Amino acid sequence: MPISDFKPRSLSLVLLISILQFGLSSCKKEIEPDQYELNQVVLYPSISAKNKLKSQEQFVSILYTNLFQQALSGNKLVEIIDCLESIGDKELGREVLISNFMNDPAVQLPSDSTMRANPEAFVAETYERFFVREPSQAELTWFSNFINAHPQLSAEMIYFSFALSNEYLYY
Amino acid sequence: MNRRRFIRAAGLTTAGAFAAPYILPSGRLFASSGQPLAGHVVYVLFAGGVRQQESVLQRYLDDSQGLPWEGNIMYNMLNGDAPQNKIVYGTDQGGGAEGGTPIPRILNQTLQTQGLLFKEVSSQSNGHYGGLNNLLQGSTVTTQGLKQKPVNPTIFEYLRRHGGYKATDAWFVGNGIGNSIPLLNYSNHPDYGSKYGANFFAPSVTFGNLGFEHLSNAKVYHPENELDPMYQMKYFLDQSFSSVGQGGDSLGNTEEEKQRIKQFMRDTYERVTQGLIAFPPVTDNSDSLNIGFACEVMREFQPAITVVNLSDVDGCHSDFTGYLRALHRADHAVGHLWNYIQTQIPGMANDTVIIASPECGRNLQHNPIKDVNDWYAYDHSDFNSSRVFTLMAGPSVPSNLVLGSENNSIGFTSDNVPTIAEILGVKDEVMNAGFLQSGARSLFERI
Repeated sequence: MPISDFKPRSLSLVLLISILQFGLSSCKKEIEPDQYELNQVVLYPSISAKNKLKSQEQFVSILYTNLFQQALSGNKLVEIIDCLESIGDKELGREVLISNFMNDPAVQLPSDSTMRANPEAFVAETYERFFVREPSQAELTWFSNFINAHPQLSAEMIYFSFALSNEYLYY
Repeated sequence: MNRRRFIRAAGLTTAGAFAAPYILPSGRLFASSGQPLAGHVVYVLFAGGVRQQESVLQRYLDDSQGLPWEGNIMYNMLNGDAPQNKIVYGTDQGGGAEGGTPIPRILNQTLQTQGLLFKEVSSQSNGHYGGLNNLLQGSTVTTQGLKQKPVNPTIFEYLRRHGGYKATDAWFVGNGIGNSIPLLNYSNHPDYGSKYGANFFAPSVTFGNLGFEHLSNAKVYHPENELDPMYQMKYFLDQSFSSVGQGGDSLGNTEEEKQRIKQFMRDTYERVTQGLIAFPPVTDNSDSLNIGFACEVMREFQPAITVVNLSDVDGCHSDFTGYLRALHRADHAVGHLWNYIQTQIPGMANDTVIIASPECGRNLQHNPIKDVNDWYAYDHSDFNSSRVFTLMAGPSVPSNLVLGSENNSIGFTSDNVPTIAEILGVKDEVMNAGFLQSGARSLFERI
């Protein structure tokens, strides 16, 4: 078709189609997604949810890790379990075992000065270490008062009582 | 007050007046009904499956290996002359043949002469686990599996619940931690259980190499300055936890009892190191070793009930010669035990009854295994395995009396529990509890 036959009307139509095509394909609205954030929260089990008794193996392994900050070898674990089996009063057996651990130079205990510098922080840390939970306000208050009222009390003695407690037998 | 209210009030008052005296300070609900016959019982679980033929029947090799040599190799417990030929059960101390020197007699008078022998008793189990449970529960529960605590109350629980005995009055000295031995110090029964259980040691572990490595270096805390606040804190923690319904598995040792046991452990480690444990003169197997530690426990605690488990004769599954040696040593160990009580523990001398029964016998027919002497070994599964004896001696036990014979069985192994209950004053409570084997009764009633 000669150029003279090209009509302005046709040109307009082509332009309109081009504009529409460009517009439909490029004019998308940018949608900002809603973002929600959570505060970092450490979730601890509730005391009332602890209804499963630890096996002897679990108890000894966890106790050793809590007191020495390292894992107990499999051989030693078996030997210690045998020793506990050989004593009828299991609570007494655990007490003797803990007393032996406390006499080991490798035991990792906080210093008494650290404990006394901030009793509440120490108590909270001890609850988290042994019971994997935060203390209630009543527990925090009781222990803080107990520490302040007993100048001879050591971090070792507190660790001992936690390790010997009934709650420590459960998870 | 109308007539109906008056009658109800009067009835309640009367009931209270009857009930109040029986709620005792010791925690038991009722006063024990019987007068104890003695202050102490030593109960020997003897000794891992013993054939009548080599024990009370004294046939030595005659009824097992086809060799015509009879004799008594248990001459501390039983009357009878020792074998004269083919001596293999002794020590090597005299030179000559291996085991050719019999161990010298300890007791001037055998336990049989001092007491009462039920020569033929029925064991209600052919196996160790059922047999031991029967000796301790007075019944055999067929649904009770291995590695499971007894289903019915043990003699320890009966005595502690109904007799008001404290935890250190009841001891079980086991000769190891294998099988179910450490589980037998109390049952799972809801009305009894751990709080009425016995203290337990397996001395070969507790005071053996493992115990020395992991238990002997316990820190000693000051009772008032350290232990007291430690226990206060523990009790506070336990109280918090008990509010959610969980507790421990305590035997009910008081703090004083726990201190005493811990001190006993420290002393015993020291005595082991110094070679002061009250072992029998010949201590070359685990039974003799166990008896030595049982003597230590009795010397320290003077328990009302001490149960000692022996089991070395079970080597008879593959070694008949070893079985004879173990049987001879078990007799030696029991002789030492009785002699030690009478001469070294004034608080128990002349106030203790000893009872010894095998948990089961052994087969009439041998298995195919031969030992170094070419002698056949014996398992335990047939009717001969349910044939055992019971020997007892001490205050209130008739002396020099033998009841029953090879063809006249009297009593059951389950009788031992009500017998001990009678000696320690709680027979009626045990009989009425309803957990004994049908037909079980005190051996005193079978005389």
